[in-house]
Formats: sequence, structure tokens, C-alpha cells
Amino acid sequence: MSLTTGDQSRYREFRSHYLPRTAKGRGAVLLYIGAFAFAEWPLLPLANRIEPTVLGFPFLFAYLSVVYAAKLAVLIYAARQQL
Amino acid sequence: MEPWVVALSMIGVYLVMTLLLGVVANRRLEVNLEDFLLCGRRAGFFVLYLTMVATYHSAFAFLGSSGFFYTHGIGFWVAGTWTLMAGAITYVLGPRIWALGKKFNYMTPADMLADYYESEPVRVVVAAVSVVFTILYIQVQAQGLGYIISAASGDRVSFEVATAVLLIVAATYLMAGGLRAVYWTDVLQGVWMYVAVWAGAIYLSYELFGGPLQLLDAVREQRPDLMTIPGPRDFFTYPMWFGMMIALSFGVVLQPHILIRYYTAVDARTLKWLGATIPIFLLTLFIPTAFVGLGGALAMPGIAIPDRIFPELLFAYAPAWLTGLILAGATAAAMSTLDSILHANSAVLTRDIYQRYVRPDADVGHYVTVSRVFIVGFLVIGYILSVYTFEYLVILVTLSGAGALQLLPAVLGVTFPARIRLTATGVLAGIGVGLAVLFLTLVVWPHPLTLHGGVWALLANGLIALLVSPLSQAPSAATVNRIHGAIEELVYGAGE
Repeated sequence: MSLTTGDQSRYREFRSHYLPRTAKGRGAVLLYIGAFAFAEWPLLPLANRIEPTVLGFPFLFAYLSVVYAAKLAVLIYAARQQL
Repeated sequence: MEPWVVALSMIGVYLVMTLLLGVVANRRLEVNLEDFLLCGRRAGFFVLYLTMVATYHSAFAFLGSSGFFYTHGIGFWVAGTWTLMAGAITYVLGPRIWALGKKFNYMTPADMLADYYESEPVRVVVAAVSVVFTILYIQVQAQGLGYIISAASGDRVSFEVATAVLLIVAATYLMAGGLRAVYWTDVLQGVWMYVAVWAGAIYLSYELFGGPLQLLDAVREQRPDLMTIPGPRDFFTYPMWFGMMIALSFGVVLQPHILIRYYTAVDARTLKWLGATIPIFLLTLFIPTAFVGLGGALAMPGIAIPDRIFPELLFAYAPAWLTGLILAGATAAAMSTLDSILHANSAVLTRDIYQRYVRPDADVGHYVTVSRVFIVGFLVIGYILSVYTFEYLVILVTLSGAGALQLLPAVLGVTFPARIRLTATGVLAGIGVGLAVLFLTLVVWPHPLTLHGGVWALLANGLIALLVSPLSQAPSAATVNRIHGAIEELVYGAGE
């Protein structure tokens, strides 16, 4: 049986697709991950409160809405740049 | 006229419109499998957008989310994280899957995975996982439809009859027009559900509290426990928050009715814009359901089935015509997901099992007929399963998503070239272990350390796939070069 470790020479060497190759691509990924982190533990507990309200909305809801808007902006930026 | 008659009449008008669209789609249908199953791979942004959002948002978006806000409070705004993640996944994965489908004529997820891993067992297992876990989704939608109609009729129409009628309508237009009928009805359904949920929520908030802001003030004063996480029943812990985000983004996107939509796009650019913008619709639909759920917790506390809070409020406080309009929107939300799942499951069985193993050389018309027979079969199964009732629709959706989530390592192995190559044995072992862990962490010991069971299962799955793959036979160099070469060309080469 031909195992993965055996028949390597005929495989084309593709660079990993998990890491973006352009500066704009890396920037977009970092921005998205950064915004993502703001909506998860351990940063999320800092915003887990009702006051101060924002336009009547509890702080947690308003905070998350801003984080979501930031993520959305990154996605739209990526699409505009066709990253 | 009695309010329930008005409400049911509005839903009836909506159903007739969907059937008419099915008839028109039937006249455009070409007798070939690609047209019936993939809408000829010609879906543009507008139609694809509305079919994606209408399919993603189901009965639980309309009923279950209101019920969750009602019971657990504002923690359900976590939905924003998974809708945005679903957009990001579509942005990244969608064009890759589209490119492979177009180049190698894939029609189902199993087509792609079996080709890359050079494994018929992979084809069968992926088809089985796709179908088994989305059957739960059929059940969810069928139950949602039953709730809506029985509530709209004031329980004059039984849950069983209501479910049967709506399943038959969905299956009829699907069998008539194939995926094109699904797409066209999804356009209607997507617009209707969005308008309906906003209209209903705004009306109720003014009727009950004087406006949305006054509603929020009242909740803050009377039920502050609903305004932070984890909520009154300690449901939205931080690990649960994270786990639901994973299970309901990757888990839903990896279900066949969503993955197949990637094949149908007219080009890769359309899918990128789709991924960047679908969260707008998906996310903002949960704002009005927050008003409904939170307001309902004050106006109508202690109802037996929280998922029914929206229809109960409408019947108590809204005029009949508005109630009918909104419940038709809820029907649209459920049917738009149901028809897509019926279609996807019939596509999987027709393409991956019947065409492959039963009648490989039949004519195209025969496969279209077989696909229609499978639709009827799933309709019957969905109806039978819908007899069993569960309290929270969203829990069922989570279970369903967690199952499809187990396909993630296999899909990444195909669509993301990397130094580590997964193998058929590796991904099969991973899926097997993942499903076993899923059972343990959802049924035997639910959500260990409050982290969602689907995430535990995915971790075990990925680990096993990585450990087993280096010890087993890899896909041939020719196949890896062919498929990863196509991905490389799409992402970094000359483009499509």
C-alpha cells in the first residue's frame, strides 16, 4: 500500500492556503479575528452589563452591534478588494 | 369575518402564490439533471441572495428565536456571531466549492469529497451524514409549520392536518419546477418573512409599550435578568456562546442544501459578495424577534411553549389581517428551508446512491423522476417525525447543525491545500469518532464544561483525522494536483 509518507515526489508543492499571501489579505484576516475576539470570552464579559444604555438599548446589545458592524465592514472591504 | 378566517385566508393566498411560481418554473424546466438539481448553474446575485437567506433562516428564526429571547433574554443576540461567521465561511469556502463544481461537474458535496479522496465509502458516508442530520431539519420545519397554522386557526385546524397540507404544497412546487421553483419561491419567501417579522414586532411594541425604546425601558425595570448573559436560566454561558456560534455557522453551511447552492452560482465573484452581505439580512432579522421575545416576557409571562409567543401575541393584540400577513411570513420562513432540504436530500440520494449504484446508465428523465419519488419519500418521513414534539426548535437545529459540522475536516482537506494531506481513512475515522463523541456530549453528558457538544465532537474528529491520515493511503498525486491545482488557479492564478 502506498502511504502518505511514500509517494511524495509527484505531488505539486502548493503553498498553504490557510495563510493569506497578500498584505491586504493578511490585514483583512487580522481585522476580522480582532473583531471576532471582542465578541468572545475574555473580552465579552467586560461588556456584559445593562448600563450605560445606548439609544435605549442595553450596553451589551449595543456593544455587540458595534462589533458585528465592524466584522461586516471587514467582509465588505474584502469583497470590494476581491481578496 | 372571524379573525382566524382572515389569518388563514392570508396564508392561503401565500400558498397559492408559491404554487403558481412552481408552475411557471416547470415551464422553464429543461429535462436534464443539472437544470433540475442545480438550476443550470446560472443563479445570479439577487436570486442567490434571497434563496440563501430564506433557506438559512427557518422556522426557528421566526418562532424559536422569539422563544429564546422570551426565555433566556438578550443572550440570543449571540446569533449575530454565527450569522457573520456564516457569511465569512461563504466568502472563503463558497468560491472554492463553486470552482471545483464547475470544473469537475460536481452536483453534491459527496461528489467533491469522493473524487478528491478517491473513495466510494467516503461518498456513502458523506451522503448518509448529509441526509440523516438534515432529516432532523425537515422535522423542525414541519413542526414549525404545524405550530403556525394551528395557532392561526385557534386550534381549529389540527397540528397534523396543517403540517400535512404545507408539506404537500412545498413538495408539489418542488417536484414541478426543481431547484428553479425553490429559488423563485425563496425570493418571495425571503422578502415576505423579512417584512412580516419587522412589521409584527414594530406593531406589537407600539401596541403594548408605546414603542421599541419604551419596551426596552420596561424590560430593564421589570426583568433586568433578561438584559445580560447568561440569562435567568444560566443558559448563555461563555462556552455555550462560543459553541453555538461554531455549530450554527459551520454546521448549517456544511449541510447539503447550503453547499449545493454554492455550485449553482453564476461565478465566484457573486459568491464573495454573497458572503459579505448575507449577514445583513440574517442578523437584522433577530432585532425584531428580540422585541417580540422580550416584550412577550412582560406582556404574556409563563406561556407553556415559548416558541409560540409571537403568534400568541399577534392573536391577542394585532388585527386579523396583520396577523395573517405575519403568520404567512412565518410559514414562508419554514417552507423556504423545508423545500431546500427536500430538494437537497433527494439530490444526494439520486446522484450519490441511485445513479452511482442502482442505475448508472439510465436516461436523464429517469433520474429526474427518481428525484421526485425521493421528494415524496422525504415528505412522508418528515411528516411522521413531526408528530413528535419538542419544546425548543432551536435545540433541534443545533443538533442538526452539529452533525453536519463533522464534515468540516473532510471539506477543508479538499478546499484548502496544505502541507498536511488528509486521506479517506483519516476523514472516515474522524467522522466516525466525531459522531460518537457527538452522541456522548449531546445525549449522555450534555455539553461538558458548558462547551457545546458539537465542538467537542469536532475537536475529536479533527484530531483523529490528523493522526490517522499520515498512516493511511493518500489520494493519488494526480488527483491532488488536479483538484488543488484548480483551487490554486482560482485563488491565486488567472482566476475564472
